Amino acid sequence: MSKSEKKIVLKSLDNEAFEVEKAVALQSQTIWVMCEDKCVGNEIPLENVTGQILAKVIDYCKKHAVVDGDGDESSEELKNWDTEFTKNMDQSTLFNMILAANYLNIKSLLNLTCQAVADKTKTIDEFHTFLNIENNFTPEEEAQICQENLWAFDD
Amino acid sequence: MSYKITAKKTPSLSLITSLPEDVIIDILARVPRCDYPKISLVSKHFQSLVASPELYVRRSLLNCTEHCLYAVLFNYETKDSHLYILRRKPNCNRCLVLIPSLPVIPWGVSFVTVGSRIYVFGGNDKKYIEASIDCISHTKMMMVFNTETQMWEPEIIKMDTELISINCFYWVVMADKLFTRDLYNSFAYEPTKSKWKMDDMLNSKVWRSACVVDDVLYYYDGDENKIRAYDPKQKCWSVVKGLEKLLPETIDPWWSETVSYGGKLTLFFRKVEMQTSEIWCAEIALERRQGGEIWGKVEWCDHLLTGNFHLRKPLAVVV
Repeated sequence: MSKSEKKIVLKSLDNEAFEVEKAVALQSQTIWVMCEDKCVGNEIPLENVTGQILAKVIDYCKKHAVVDGDGDESSEELKNWDTEFTKNMDQSTLFNMILAANYLNIKSLLNLTCQAVADKTKTIDEFHTFLNIENNFTPEEEAQICQENLWAFDD
Repeated sequence: MSYKITAKKTPSLSLITSLPEDVIIDILARVPRCDYPKISLVSKHFQSLVASPELYVRRSLLNCTEHCLYAVLFNYETKDSHLYILRRKPNCNRCLVLIPSLPVIPWGVSFVTVGSRIYVFGGNDKKYIEASIDCISHTKMMMVFNTETQMWEPEIIKMDTELISINCFYWVVMADKLFTRDLYNSFAYEPTKSKWKMDDMLNSKVWRSACVVDDVLYYYDGDENKIRAYDPKQKCWSVVKGLEKLLPETIDPWWSETVSYGGKLTLFFRKVEMQTSEIWCAEIALERRQGGEIWGKVEWCDHLLTGNFHLRKPLAVVV
């Protein structure tokens, strides 16, 4: 493999280009399939991901590629890095990361981001606010569910 | 019940609904099970997701299943038995909470747990004859014997009636063998050889309502206020060490029972404080040290419920 073949350019939805090591990008199954499929050249258009999100995805992939390659970082350190990575992400970034991880098919990133959402939704009020979902129950239906699940609520 | 939520009319589209259903299930599978009733209050869509079998399959695929403890308690005041679930309160203490959706549990039945189900065998009460309790929905279902074929399969195990009386009260499975005890003897059954054998060493202690952790049998010995362990491979009994502080707290030795819970041992016991009866529970992590000694470490010990109850059976399920 020549030097140029080791690099790959990822182009975001808003036309931002990122040059990355192939080993970094290939953690995405979607990109891997695209590369296998000789139709695409060295530039891969990612129509579902914005530059802002793609930059974060690449950060994640770089961190994880280095570790897999050199093994110079303990899994404990990597875990801490992952925690820090999602800790201060706002809701919209987190959901966009999930969508990107799902579209790019990066299993470990999808696991990480799904877990982060699960961890942030601890109470029902948080659930409503965090998920921004409209409550479409009538008061009667709501009372019925509460009655069936009395064991789970605090009086 | 005073749980109130206010409907939020937000014009902006929720981001989570833009996620593929599969990903939403992935997220929900990672949320603790005790939050599911609250999630079902979020919206009708979430209510249906929480009730879907797919969610529970995903929990086990992602290794997100949880061990849940239940207890069948007889209330001396109301004179009936109900199923209670052990749950954590927001202040981190644990408590036993009645599950009101299930009918009264009759006398004369036995309980077996497999996965997320509690099977109820025997008894005369039509409501429960051959029933199983689904711990996902807390509803009662029809009873099955073979959990895969959903059929009774008679004569899987032939009792050696010359050897064993029909009054075997206690049964456990260790290292692929079945062990049981009648009034006088203990027996081991090897399914591969279809053969029953007396186990004199096991029988040297009068074990009752035992449980199994890592192929070792544990039971609470009420006479001597000890937790005893029997290792069928070594064929020897020992006393679990390190519980010298915990065990004197159990004032009513015949009330106490052990149950295996996620690779650990839990001990339910009763205390009397100012003439009121309290149910307590301790979770004990087990460690085998050099020389085969088994040491127990109390991970938590909580007061679960106050009232005059008899503990009929503690049960552990995986949800």
